[in-house]
Amino acid sequence: MSLLDFARGPAMQWSLIILVVGVTWRLFGALLLMKKKDLSKAKVESTTGASISTVFNRFWPKPQFAAQMSITLLLAYTMHIGLFVVVFLFSPHITLITDMTGLSWSGLSGGVVMFFGAITLASMIALLIRRLTSPVLKMISTPGDYISWLITALPVLTGLMAHAHFGGPYETVLAIHMLTVELLFIWFPFSKLMHAFLFIPSRAKLGAVFGRRGVKI
Amino acid sequence: MSELIKNKDQLEANSGNEETLSQSLLKQGISRRTFMKFCTTVTSAMALAPASAILMAETLAQTRRQSVIWLSFQECTGCTESLTRSHKPTIESLIFDFISLDYHHTLQAAAGHAAEEARETAMKDNWGKYILIVDGSIPTKDDGVYSTIAGITNLSMLEEVSKGAAAIVSVGTCAAFGGLPKADPNPTGAKSVSEIIKGKPIINIPGCPPIPVVITGVLAHVLTFGIPDLDDKGRPKAFYGESIHDRCYRRPFYDQGLFAKGFDDEGARKGWCLYEVGCKGPVTHNACATTKWNNGTSFPIQAGHGCIGCSEPDFWDKGGFYKSLPQGQWGSAEGIAAAAVAGAAIGIGAAAMAKSHQKTSGEESS
Amino acid sequence: MIDMERFGQFREGIKGLGSMAVPSTLSDDEKIAKAKQVFFRKIDSNMAIGLESCIHCGHCASACHFHEGTGDAKYTPIRKLELLKRFYRRELSPMRWLHRLYTRDVTTQDLMQWQELVYDSCTECGRCSQICPMGINIAAGVNVMREAMADAQMIPDELAAVEQEQCQGTLFGFGHDQFIEAVDAFRGQGLDIPLDKDKADILLLTTVVDITLFTDAFISTVKVMNNLGVNWTLRSCNFEAANFGLLSGYEALQKQASDGIIKEAISIGAKIVITPECGHAYPALRWDGANEYGQPLPFDVLAISEFLGQQVNAGNLKLKPLGKDKKFTMHDPCKIARHGGVIDEPRAVINALGVDFIETESSGENNWCCGGGAGVFLINRASDLREKAFSIKINQVNDTGADTVVMSCGSCRLNFISGADNANWNKNIESLVVLVAENLAD
Repeated sequence: MSLLDFARGPAMQWSLIILVVGVTWRLFGALLLMKKKDLSKAKVESTTGASISTVFNRFWPKPQFAAQMSITLLLAYTMHIGLFVVVFLFSPHITLITDMTGLSWSGLSGGVVMFFGAITLASMIALLIRRLTSPVLKMISTPGDYISWLITALPVLTGLMAHAHFGGPYETVLAIHMLTVELLFIWFPFSKLMHAFLFIPSRAKLGAVFGRRGVKI
Repeated sequence: MSELIKNKDQLEANSGNEETLSQSLLKQGISRRTFMKFCTTVTSAMALAPASAILMAETLAQTRRQSVIWLSFQECTGCTESLTRSHKPTIESLIFDFISLDYHHTLQAAAGHAAEEARETAMKDNWGKYILIVDGSIPTKDDGVYSTIAGITNLSMLEEVSKGAAAIVSVGTCAAFGGLPKADPNPTGAKSVSEIIKGKPIINIPGCPPIPVVITGVLAHVLTFGIPDLDDKGRPKAFYGESIHDRCYRRPFYDQGLFAKGFDDEGARKGWCLYEVGCKGPVTHNACATTKWNNGTSFPIQAGHGCIGCSEPDFWDKGGFYKSLPQGQWGSAEGIAAAAVAGAAIGIGAAAMAKSHQKTSGEESS
Repeated sequence: MIDMERFGQFREGIKGLGSMAVPSTLSDDEKIAKAKQVFFRKIDSNMAIGLESCIHCGHCASACHFHEGTGDAKYTPIRKLELLKRFYRRELSPMRWLHRLYTRDVTTQDLMQWQELVYDSCTECGRCSQICPMGINIAAGVNVMREAMADAQMIPDELAAVEQEQCQGTLFGFGHDQFIEAVDAFRGQGLDIPLDKDKADILLLTTVVDITLFTDAFISTVKVMNNLGVNWTLRSCNFEAANFGLLSGYEALQKQASDGIIKEAISIGAKIVITPECGHAYPALRWDGANEYGQPLPFDVLAISEFLGQQVNAGNLKLKPLGKDKKFTMHDPCKIARHGGVIDEPRAVINALGVDFIETESSGENNWCCGGGAGVFLINRASDLREKAFSIKINQVNDTGADTVVMSCGSCRLNFISGADNANWNKNIESLVVLVAENLAD
């Protein structure tokens, strides 16, 4: 079995399984901890609206906070949007997702995706520099933050390399790219990358707590 | 290697009353000019310097007939057909005739014991100097009984004949990598030449079948300059250095994301990229996209069918000719669903245990 | 107007508060065991999701007045929950078996180190949760930390002293008897104060600070209640709205104090309980009261500013306009606005006063904390920290161009007056209820 066959086959299979087991385990395990019943009188009939709106409005800071966050916001959105484009709007990836889920949509041309890959990497480097130099971040960052950065950057970097046929025989670089993605899958449930799922219950719960009190947050 | 005829000087040192190639060609009515054109075509196809054409012409012209033993093992004869099936005599076939093809099941006149004797004589007379060409894979299961010639298993014949060969050329994917017989479940225990023979120079010319000019071009290079640069799979880089994808005329469509989704849809009719209907071009190395087939007429993608990757190892077991590259090897939806259920169950269990732990440990002791 | 000499005495008094605390008798092992018991009891699904969700983005720091005032990264809000995170990861998280391999256990030394972070430099104002992209309720976590520290007898001395006193039934020396004396004294000045009625629609609460220091607020409240002609009373038992159980984190006292008020209200058949100009008193009763008591409350809880706003909107409370030449701005107390949902009602009152009302740039639920709430005002070693944090308020109010800043919380008022004094800041600092009483249209 060649490295590429291994990367496409058993490695993909098992890393996906670990990903799915880990994500469901962590979500169920935290969501199903004890719930405290609130006997106080709520100021609203139902908090569902507040929960849902908080999930969405937190994508952008309130005007009072936006000025302080503007640079990080720009870099972080470049990164996230870039990641979205390279993962979900690149034809070979879409073909794999179609095979897995049956859903399909059309992608962007290779050159455009490469561009997004490049700006994703650039914004990630800028964010890393920020993490290494900001006093607040130096105080609260843990090894997990840097590992997550590396494990997220490697697929982007190796993907660009594979597409550009740079860095070695194509099949080898492609296999390495797939292996870095599988490493990401395995790391994902045990790290802060879970925020991709957690942001929903986390924001929703805050929205409910404050919504109950008649406060729009 | 040193036994091979490498340059003009060595050529002239060879004795023999056999006619040279140029004499033979002249007899057939092929002019020196035409012969030069052939040498130029071959050397340019292999991206050699322009001066090589002259050197190849001069060297080949003086070449004495190189002894070649062609062993056909577990094969379909397609490789020989590819080379020899032609509607008119071609230069390639004439060159082929010139080489002293001392043993070839399909092409030889002799049969039965006489054929085996011819082989043994050629081996004795040219020991250490003959080129061994192999097509077909070698079955090894049950001591190799699944393919025999004159009662001799392919395996032992290969081992014996290799001993005196100057170099071995594995023609076709079966000889180079195991090919179709090796496909899952490989009931005969089929293996490639290089899996069995060690310590001899082996050139792989894979393809199912290989392109005719690739075969003759490599042979011409071997006779003139020796063994060409080989890639990590033993294939001459001149013909196998690029992937189909990197030379495919439909590449702009791939880059723009324009794909045929079937064989008769709008994309197919417009000649869009065949990636999504299973083309293995990106991971297949061969000269099809540039040299093409039938004297440059066409190749599979041009005819509307995706590349099946026939010059790569195990191409029969890569998921399917109509499944695109990323598809079908990652497991199953059922497996993922089972994983989700398992994860949820573990999570529910973990939460339940935590909650009960909270109850007991959170109680005030006072 | 308040008696500035009395104010100075009050501030002096705080300086000696710490020495009045009874020291802890627990061993280190007992302390951490007690703290962990609280962690076990208090970490629910909401908190768990919050503790799982931090992505270390650091934005909470820029919403926090203690961080912004000092520039010191150690005050980053999410850091305050570090011990809670570690405990949760080791004991309750879904993957605790993995976390135990590399997450350190929480020790008494850790708790001691964190005391400054969860008491001195956090007013549980909740502004950090407004900016957090993941929506983590940090203030709620800090309250759990305080509850753990309280059971472990690791409350800062000044707060410990006050908490211990309130457990015995008085606050700053004030209990039932002193309250009756004080009411008599006010009646002697001509104030009509209903006290200890057997039945009333409205139970009014007050604080020792209002009775002794911010007497203008007390007197004004009485006047306004009488003007409205409602059926109300004070009660000499459980008159105190301030809840040092909630502030210190000592839950037993929190329950004791709020249960006392609830039983009082039930005994007189009150339909409404009004909390005075005091920040945490409102959420203590409005949100925590029923949960501590164990049943839904049979009455409504309103903050005084909430009540006044409702009365203005209903047309029952008519005010004389002060004039549009008067530039007013408002400081929304964190516990009333962001945590209480009382934002529109005080504005209804100010608008009825007919002034030129200018909102601060961050107002309502986004307002900056004054920096003195949650008992932080009492912690002597934090006074420098409070001053630095308060500079943000000064700039915020100055930017509006207003001459007067109005608030409806005694704790904020204390911190404002003190902060203005320290910084030589000349601004009219007004109580909402005082303004109302001074401008009744009769």
